[in-house]
Amino acid sequence: MLARLRSPNLVPMLAVALFIAALYYPLMLIANIPAAQRALDTGAALPCKTAFECATQLRSPVLPSPQQLWNGFRNLMFPLNSPNAIPLNAAVTALETIVGLLLAAVVGFFFAIGIVASRAFERSLLPWIVASQTVPVIAIAPMLVVLLGQYGVQGWIPKAIIAAYIAFFPIAIGVAKGLKSPDPLSLDLMKTYNANNWQTYLMLRFPASIPYLFTAFKVAMTAALIGAIVAEISTISFQGIGKMLAENSRASDVVAMWVIMLSSAVLGILLVALVNWTERLVTPWQRAKVAAMPVLKQARVSKQEGVS
Amino acid sequence: MVVQPSKPVLSRVPLDWILLAFGFGLLLWFIAIWWNQSEPASDAQKLLIWGGFLLAALGIARVANQFVNATNPVIGFTPAALTLLVVVVTAEALLRAYQVPPGLIPTPSRVLFTFFAVRDVLLQDAFQTVVLEALVGYLIGCGLGVITALLVSRYVFLERGLLPYATVFSSIPIVALAPVLVKMVGIDWQSKAVIVAITVFFPVVVNTFRGLTEVSPLSLDLMRSYAASEVQQYRWLRLPNALPFIFNALKLGTTLAMIGAIVGEFFGANGQGLGFRIQIEAGRFGFDIVWSAIIVASLIGIAWYNLVAWLERRLTGWHVSFR
Repeated sequence: MLARLRSPNLVPMLAVALFIAALYYPLMLIANIPAAQRALDTGAALPCKTAFECATQLRSPVLPSPQQLWNGFRNLMFPLNSPNAIPLNAAVTALETIVGLLLAAVVGFFFAIGIVASRAFERSLLPWIVASQTVPVIAIAPMLVVLLGQYGVQGWIPKAIIAAYIAFFPIAIGVAKGLKSPDPLSLDLMKTYNANNWQTYLMLRFPASIPYLFTAFKVAMTAALIGAIVAEISTISFQGIGKMLAENSRASDVVAMWVIMLSSAVLGILLVALVNWTERLVTPWQRAKVAAMPVLKQARVSKQEGVS
Repeated sequence: MVVQPSKPVLSRVPLDWILLAFGFGLLLWFIAIWWNQSEPASDAQKLLIWGGFLLAALGIARVANQFVNATNPVIGFTPAALTLLVVVVTAEALLRAYQVPPGLIPTPSRVLFTFFAVRDVLLQDAFQTVVLEALVGYLIGCGLGVITALLVSRYVFLERGLLPYATVFSSIPIVALAPVLVKMVGIDWQSKAVIVAITVFFPVVVNTFRGLTEVSPLSLDLMRSYAASEVQQYRWLRLPNALPFIFNALKLGTTLAMIGAIVGEFFGANGQGLGFRIQIEAGRFGFDIVWSAIIVASLIGIAWYNLVAWLERRLTGWHVSFR
């Protein structure tokens, strides 16, 4: 994140942001005025007289005005530990996501070892693992939650399991790629030293898979967050971002939905930043490699990193 | 390196297949005798099911070893097909042995019967979800994505100003957009198409951009020495180079499109659609219909993915990964 701020992208990024901000207000008015006019025509008791004035004060605006967003934000942020405020619910969702990711890492790792170690395993299971991803896995979430609930697994745990179910595929594929990544020469060297399978994995294959692991973690983190939110939406939940979305969707509180959407975007960015930060902590040598590059290439690398 | 004498493969074949057949036989035998029973099976019978499953799994593992080098895709698929079969048969046997109520987990056979019974409704749902929502949104999102990527690759200012946002967007949970968009656009299929378009847009932009810019400098120099115009450069060098990248995004997009459409329907639909069906039926414990809807969604998802993959092979057969 910080490296990106220092990059030559700062000025163009700010320019684009300003351009969009400048465009937002007139766009909001254009989008809201017809709705405001309709509200006035019905003769509802509104605190404003013209459609132009009302455009920024609609209860369910097409696009909320900045003032409305700001007010909604203030209402939903405090008190920090209120069951209807964003901070507590975001924390619950983050917990589900992270636990789900760790669970997915464990399962994904075993699958990856299976794929690398045995062609027979790959032949008989990999097609279904791939197919399970072309399937909308999210469709399974509502069922899984009800099912786990029947067997007494309730609260945030089923959501973490669903997050893990959705996140494990990128991890399994990423780690498998990483375990296959060592240079054949190094593998030959291990053979010359008469290293057994276990030693080859421990000393060569696992360390080689770490960069791939973190790339996979970034993709999986987003997937897990989506899984957690969908799981909260599609079941009876008492906490979490998804529960807030579902609740406000039923209550048609459009401004609150916007605020929650924006906060969940921030949550997603923070969680991926957490992975980035952990990566730096765990693999300092990767960063040194990037730092040694010329600036332009560095920018390109950090871009690809974020993309993949 | 010493050449190993080839293993006597044929002599091992019968044992593997016997294991497999015996495992499947045990499972099927149990299902046959327990088809119309309504009380849980005895412990010995449950043990028998697990034994049958383990034997069949072992058989598959050993059989799969013989198919490892199969080049024909149909033959190479045999172990995977056997795996699916053993999972389905074991599920059927276990659900019958423990007498799990069908309102909780329906047996595979029951799901198949339901699937056949409600096929007309599901087809209508699939038309709404896949053709109207996912496909329309997919085409719009991918089209806009490619155009945006062309612009971004042409103008450095856009590259620096827009692309970082695209990468940030990739870490945003798109589902959170769904309720807002459904409220904004309405509960008809258009709102879901918009969700799908937004979901597939960013991966397409990012991938296409990479393909357009990661061109070999040598080829660029060659183009320049021939005084090729910018249009020619794009037509003959950048676009062909981007095709594999674009197809990667298109394949990823098929999954995202299905997910976007289905989740969008969770937030409001006009009484049709696979996501709507799943949501409604899960709420009233009609899991046989839920599973049927999932089967439909899966089959369509897999078919769609493979269609794009087939197009990819046709159009980018020259690429390294296919040689």
